[in-house]
Amino acid sequence: MAKIELNNIDLTFSIRQTRKITLKEWLVQGIFWNNPAKKIHALKTMSITLQDGDRLGVIGHNGAGKSTLLKLMAGIYPPTNGSRNVEGNICSLCVISLGFEPDASGWDNIRYRAYLQGETPATLKGKIQSIAEFSELGDFLNIPVRYYSAGMLIRLAFSIASAVEPEILLIDEVLAVGDLAFQIKARKRMEQMMSKASLLVTISHDLQAICELCNRAIWIDHGAIRLEGDVRKVVEAYRQCATNSPGLHTAAA
Amino acid sequence: MIGQISLVWKFRYFWLSLVKLDLKTRYRRSILGIGWSLLNPILMTIVFCLLFSTWQQNKDWKSFAPFFLAGLSIWEFIRSSTLSGCQTFFRNEAYIRQCPLPLAIYPLRTVLGTLIHFMIALGVLLLLISVFTEADHWRAVKMIPVIFPSLVLLIIFCWALSVISGFLTVFFQDSQHLLEVFFQIFFFLTPIMYDNQLLVDRHLKLLATGSPVVIFFDLIREPLLSGNAPPLWLFTKGVIVTFAAMLGALAVIRWLEKKLIFHL
Repeated sequence: MAKIELNNIDLTFSIRQTRKITLKEWLVQGIFWNNPAKKIHALKTMSITLQDGDRLGVIGHNGAGKSTLLKLMAGIYPPTNGSRNVEGNICSLCVISLGFEPDASGWDNIRYRAYLQGETPATLKGKIQSIAEFSELGDFLNIPVRYYSAGMLIRLAFSIASAVEPEILLIDEVLAVGDLAFQIKARKRMEQMMSKASLLVTISHDLQAICELCNRAIWIDHGAIRLEGDVRKVVEAYRQCATNSPGLHTAAA
Repeated sequence: MIGQISLVWKFRYFWLSLVKLDLKTRYRRSILGIGWSLLNPILMTIVFCLLFSTWQQNKDWKSFAPFFLAGLSIWEFIRSSTLSGCQTFFRNEAYIRQCPLPLAIYPLRTVLGTLIHFMIALGVLLLLISVFTEADHWRAVKMIPVIFPSLVLLIIFCWALSVISGFLTVFFQDSQHLLEVFFQIFFFLTPIMYDNQLLVDRHLKLLATGSPVVIFFDLIREPLLSGNAPPLWLFTKGVIVTFAAMLGALAVIRWLEKKLIFHL
């Protein structure tokens, strides 16, 4: 039983115009120091409830808050206001190319990342070989990740991240993974995961793919939900808006 | 709270394997390997012994060498835990951005790394005392069970410091620099190179009795050197200091854990 429940979620970032304040400045100016941070209201009073079987597509212009919403669902950004309630184990394919230990070998990095995803040495034993095989990196797994090319890194990252069987799958902007052959393979693997996961949230600018994969959609505009409901209806409205008034909907705040 | 601890435990393979990696990468390129971290405290002790034996003729260097090494290793453990704690959240930023794990894990990685060095220094110290003690060569070794609870307290204390310095550096970028200055000053105000009595004589009694470092000196250095178990009241003092630091760290975690990601 998987569930994501967001109730009146607000998320505000405070961005500093200049550099960070130092402790010395803070101690000297102390109480007189007025906070020069600029507030950015990234998500505005959103409520979303997702249950088993829901496949949600998230669309909207660049900077609308799609990725932020996904990270909030994954628990990385805590909401400023409102409540987040998630049941079921999550796998998020967002920034998977980050977080390698450059001095460790590919094999070791598979272990760290897998432990980070909640594996234990016992459960990993049966999987590590298939992760390595899927990455097709062969002997390169014995050398430090520092020497990998960007494509090799993303291969390794995807192979590990997709080795779990999550109940909730969060995918940001279906990644262009490696070369053509690997892309085809990755797409297949992703489709498998999507069909197994009981709940899926995906961000994409590929409206065709959204229509095929999802049964629900939300359109986010400047941090707020502009339209939600049946995937075809939302995608059509978004397409109309984007073609009729190009530039208008992308004017970021 | 309990949930957090069980999460830390659940992901133990993650942080333990990172500690192992830290050690491996640090020693991979040197032939001497782990010996390098032996060399530092030994050289320091030799230099200071040579200095002091020529300055103060009455000093018995055979008892001074273990005294200095013991103080120095405890001091170094506290200092390096705090200072490397400063970078802990930056070093692990990629993991923090990927997985919402309890942040207490990352200072744990740092402190366990520095703990290894402390253990090595402690081993050298035990050897030194055993060689230099004429009466009973096994006296220091017999003291290991006595100081063990104090060592556990010291590790918790260092973890707490590293949590606090880690959060401080995320919010104020000059914290590490200020802490370095602080430790530099207190190196001379802490009875590492001289006896506690010196501070009391100079009317600096507060530094001689109030400093948490001195409490750990009395709990770990004294028993090893003298062969006498510390009194219970002193151990109680150690427990209180450790718990105060730990509560401070837990309060900081509770207060800032959810804010950290926005400041990295």
